[in-house]
Amino acid sequence: MEDKAGIKKPKIECVNISKHFMEGQEKNHVLDTIDLSVRENEFIVILGPGQSGKSTLLKIIAGLYKPSTGNAYLDGKEITHPGPDRGIVFQRYTLFPWKTVMGNVEMGPKLRGVPRKERRRLAQHYIELVGLKGFEKAYPHQLSGGMKQRVGIARAYVNNPKVMLLDEPFGQLDAQTRYFMEEETVRIWETEKRTVIFVTNNIEEAVYLGDRIVVLEGKLPGRMKKIYDVNLPRPRDYTDPAFLDLRHLITEETELTL
Amino acid sequence: MSNEALVNNSPVTEKPRTFGEFISALFKNVYVLYAISIISFLLIWDVLSVMQVLGRFLPRPVEVLYQLYDMLLNPLAGKTLMMHLWFSLRRVLIAFAIAVVIGVPIGLAMGFSPYFNAFVKPVFDLFKPMPPIAWISLAILWFGIGEMSKIFIIIIGAVVPCIINSYNGIRLVDPEMYDCIRMLGGNKRQEVIEVTFPAAFPAIFAGIQISLSMAWTTVLAAELVGAREGMGFIIITGMNQSKPAMIISGMVVIALTAWAISMLVTHAERWVCPWKTKLE
Ligand SMILES: Nc1ncnc2c1ncn2[C@@H]1O[C@H](COP(=O)(O)OP(=O)(O)OP(=O)(O)O)[C@@H](O)[C@H]1O
Ligand SMILES: [Mg+2]
Repeated sequence: MEDKAGIKKPKIECVNISKHFMEGQEKNHVLDTIDLSVRENEFIVILGPGQSGKSTLLKIIAGLYKPSTGNAYLDGKEITHPGPDRGIVFQRYTLFPWKTVMGNVEMGPKLRGVPRKERRRLAQHYIELVGLKGFEKAYPHQLSGGMKQRVGIARAYVNNPKVMLLDEPFGQLDAQTRYFMEEETVRIWETEKRTVIFVTNNIEEAVYLGDRIVVLEGKLPGRMKKIYDVNLPRPRDYTDPAFLDLRHLITEETELTL
Repeated sequence: MSNEALVNNSPVTEKPRTFGEFISALFKNVYVLYAISIISFLLIWDVLSVMQVLGRFLPRPVEVLYQLYDMLLNPLAGKTLMMHLWFSLRRVLIAFAIAVVIGVPIGLAMGFSPYFNAFVKPVFDLFKPMPPIAWISLAILWFGIGEMSKIFIIIIGAVVPCIINSYNGIRLVDPEMYDCIRMLGGNKRQEVIEVTFPAAFPAIFAGIQISLSMAWTTVLAAELVGAREGMGFIIITGMNQSKPAMIISGMVVIALTAWAISMLVTHAERWVCPWKTKLE
């Protein structure tokens, strides 16, 4: 691992990032000194309780927010704008309700001016990859939460982004669907390898998905508390003793800070 | 809609077994209740009329029905009922079209440009709460008793919802939609085409809908003053000739027309925004 990281340049790098929002005259400090580098094709999980600045960090990497200090880099270049080289799946789905599943997924290529037939073919591939074949003509309001999230994933993947940013994508799903979506996420990631930054507040989900887990502290401003390496083979088993050990370890160590 | 669902979802859909259950099922059937509602309304009306509770100025339902039939066949002031209806509708449609053409672009411009908004809003807010009928006298002084003054008043009434809803439709687009389209690679122009317009469309359409019913309400008021044709004219004639049956006939036709218009618009909406859920 070490030497691999030494040879390869990091895909995403956050250097000394902090962020505050102005609320009237008051500074609301949300993130503090985030230093993080993410390797190519790494699945990194950002784990933090509610209101710890997770979405803010993700939106900085997305280029939607400017950091107050520090910078985020993609392939060594400073991130200044949102762009299709980073695919994002929002916490609240944020599908286009006036578009069908196909219309949502083909949006990226459409904006790039890819001809209709070609972009339909592309979109179809990703709709099938996320297991939504047969729902191409459905509108978002006709879909369940899990299906909407799949549309979001397909819509981001179709742009062939260098990095996928997922913001608590399964936070609103029931446990059953959640486990299933976690498995699906690993399957999709292994089919089409990407650098993934996955935000969650669920420790079990973090251990199941992550190559590394970055734990944010539980109070604002969000700080990096610790990084865990997860050296468990995939597919992982939620009931494997090693899995449970790591899960307990993280649970204990994070509860100390809350 | 929601009532119906509520009633039909109750456990009475099982086969009734006893006579008592049959009766109770009957009284929980929504169509039976609709029928009971209308029949009792007509009955009470008829009784009140026969008892002359309101003197001789409450005709019986059958008299109203006869009056309707009469006006359909025999012209009043040279025009049959359908022609009067057409005159009112024509005013509404002309004024409504003008209101949409003026109001929607103004509202959109207010939504897009905070500067234009700051320029227009104070004046607009001043005029907005004024009921259109308040303009009648001025309109007649300015445009005379003819067609122009009526159309002017209807435009005043109908333009307001167009402006307000178009403005709010643009302003209240979920900002994350813009984040989303920008992450997908959209430029400024594509943001407007792919997000702003479709996202604001239901609100704009709702404004147009309100505007149309405003127009229909306002035309009657406009016709109460110096019209020689139209539904408002029928009502005012009924009053002048002490024919309450004529007034009520007019009211019935007005209500039916309003209902037909709203049905039409609802269907149009389902056709132009199929993504909207049915309830709401
Ligand atoms: N656009 C913004 N403007 C002002 N303040 C903001 C903005 N975005 C976030 N904040 C502030 O940052 C705080 C942390 O928000 P953030 O969404 O990053 O946390 P989170 O960890 O993702 O929370 P959650 O678990 O609820 O998703 C919020 O409480 C809010 O005060
Ligand atoms: Mg969040």
